[in-house]
Amino acid sequence: MSTLEVVTGVLALTGLAVCVVGLGWRVSGVQGRPFRWDVAPAKGSAARGVAYAFTLGMAPWAKESTRRHLLAYVRGILLHLAIFAGLAWLAASPWHAEVPKVVRLLTASVLTAGMAMGLAGFWMRRREPALRQLSTPDDYASLGLVTLFLATAALSAVAAWCLPGLWALSGLMLAYIPFGKLRHFVYFFYTRTFFGLLFGRRGVLESAR
Amino acid sequence: MLETKVDKVLDLKGLLCPVPVVKVSQAIKALPIGAVIEATATDPGVLADIPAWARSTGNEVLSIERQNKVITFRVKRVK
Amino acid sequence: MARLDANKATLVKDTLGKLIDRKLLASLEVCVRCGICAESCHYYLADPRPEHAPFYRSEQVRRLYRSLFDPIGRHLPWWVGAQRPTEESLAQLAEMAFSTCTLCRRCTLNCPSGCDTAQIMRAMRTVAVAAGLAPEMLVQLADASIAREEHLEDFKEIYLEQVRALEEEVREATGDPQAHIPVDVEGADILYVALSGAHTILPAAILFHEAGSNWTLSMFEASNYGVFLADTARAKRITERIVREAERLRVREVVVTDCGHAYTTLRWEAPNWFGKPFPFQVRSLIELVAGWISDGIITVDPTHNPEPVTYHDSCNLGRNSGLIEEPRTILRAVCQDFREMTPNREHNYCCGGGGGLVATPEWTDLRLKAGGPKAQQVRATGAQVVAASCDNCRIQLGDISEHYALGTRVVGLMELVVKALVPQRAKGHPLEADVA
Repeated sequence: MSTLEVVTGVLALTGLAVCVVGLGWRVSGVQGRPFRWDVAPAKGSAARGVAYAFTLGMAPWAKESTRRHLLAYVRGILLHLAIFAGLAWLAASPWHAEVPKVVRLLTASVLTAGMAMGLAGFWMRRREPALRQLSTPDDYASLGLVTLFLATAALSAVAAWCLPGLWALSGLMLAYIPFGKLRHFVYFFYTRTFFGLLFGRRGVLESAR
Repeated sequence: MLETKVDKVLDLKGLLCPVPVVKVSQAIKALPIGAVIEATATDPGVLADIPAWARSTGNEVLSIERQNKVITFRVKRVK
Repeated sequence: MARLDANKATLVKDTLGKLIDRKLLASLEVCVRCGICAESCHYYLADPRPEHAPFYRSEQVRRLYRSLFDPIGRHLPWWVGAQRPTEESLAQLAEMAFSTCTLCRRCTLNCPSGCDTAQIMRAMRTVAVAAGLAPEMLVQLADASIAREEHLEDFKEIYLEQVRALEEEVREATGDPQAHIPVDVEGADILYVALSGAHTILPAAILFHEAGSNWTLSMFEASNYGVFLADTARAKRITERIVREAERLRVREVVVTDCGHAYTTLRWEAPNWFGKPFPFQVRSLIELVAGWISDGIITVDPTHNPEPVTYHDSCNLGRNSGLIEEPRTILRAVCQDFREMTPNREHNYCCGGGGGLVATPEWTDLRLKAGGPKAQQVRATGAQVVAASCDNCRIQLGDISEHYALGTRVVGLMELVVKALVPQRAKGHPLEADVA
């Protein structure tokens, strides 16, 4: 292993540690807040509501908003799928040589598509007046880090010499997650659960009536 | 009741709660202290709503009369 | 920009801090400002400006939240768009929360993350009330409800006089000279909570009579302006009047009239304020009447309502309470030509009158403009009659019918039922109690 690989590897692991500790701090921040189950007798099924919230409720055709903004929604889905693929590749990357070439090429294609979705995100954020007006440096930094992560991940899948770049950038991105908007994914699981509980229990969702 | 000088007359007939109370509250704000509003309404809800509103805002209901389905009341601005 | 004085700044921080439970925190943190919720809001559809998009509005509250509670927002506010409150910004936030969001939760249903923007706006309303920035009229109406109980003896006679006058109309409608409106009856099965005014007492009294229900009328009105203020202390105080009355009369169930927020409050929200389920069931009159029709307890003839009728789903009753099929059971039975709006049920657009907007005259123009999408929906049905099951919606639908020259008549759901009613009780038809 070269010095560069060792240094960037340590950076990635440090970033991971900061991420884990930081997200633990964020989760304890949520868990530390009061939560009370609704006490009124249920009309529908909370369990079916939550199940819907995490399955069919996320389908592109399930909501008027996602049907109307199909491209934007699909872009978001692809970007997130690519991020999961990128993280999987990051975990596998130390064993780069042992991963079959066809898998690496496939991974690189998915990650490149994800990177394109990231770039599209910049375009959308500038194009929509409301988004442009509200966007903060954190929005651009978060999107930039993810897009660069996907780019270096894609490159490193086909060219091993790019691995130190991937690891360095991964360290940076992972360390940033608890402090910027990338942390939203933690809260996503909470809001979707609360959504399912609310609309399921009250018998609003058709599948929970 | 007839001797009281009326400073503003409101026709609230056909309006449903809470609109009569809202209209009276708006109108009274524009009048000086001591001024009197006379209003006619058809929603019997005003029979309880106007005195309750007057109590909570510190104004005074001078009279409420009901003739058939028309209710006439007078409110004096105190505060 | 005038800085908040230390006391007010502390008040704002403490008030918001106490409201941040797990649900609110998650909604404050989850939004990535993707922007796809914009068209789910009737304000945005009526006037597509950025500030009318739900994510834009909630972002303004998030800026306040970040400046007070997020370490990054406190130390690097420019990086995450945090904004410390000033006199001006607080006044703007208060106005935004009360005037440009009806708390209808259509955006929540349409958010990919399920962000509860209504809860965020409610929190902002609570902060505004604490800071003395609440709309005056909502405060007056909430306090008037409280005064009604505090001085009940003063109002009791007036109220009973109103009820006696209505009894004559019940007798006329049912053809039964014995028909009456029971008030303050201990041991009744049902405590019926109406609104102020005859239009929610009379149809219900006729229907209770026809169904043979053992009921009694509440001394109090169902509406709760403390809820619109998001002032839980006031809202709880107003609800307590009904809870105490129900407990004193030992009723089995409280039935709430056609009123969106009153039903949502008593059915779903208020038990949380008291920390336990009520010792009585809470139902809407709509649920009872749908059941009576389905079970044949009352007889209706749809030819009495021959005109095309459409139904406006109140956001509180439909999207927030799950009363979706019950009104349709009624309408299909009592109207000859019932037509759905598009979209409908839980996806229906807010009429623009919710959240206390019909009681805040300073924002009438905004309210009427926000009613534009609803006006289009109504017009597209070709209906002559719009049935509403919420009084706030009813006022707003009447106003937009006039404003947009729709030429529609707005009626309460129960009025349509009464119009279609074929009185059977005198003929020995089964009563509710017999069927049960």
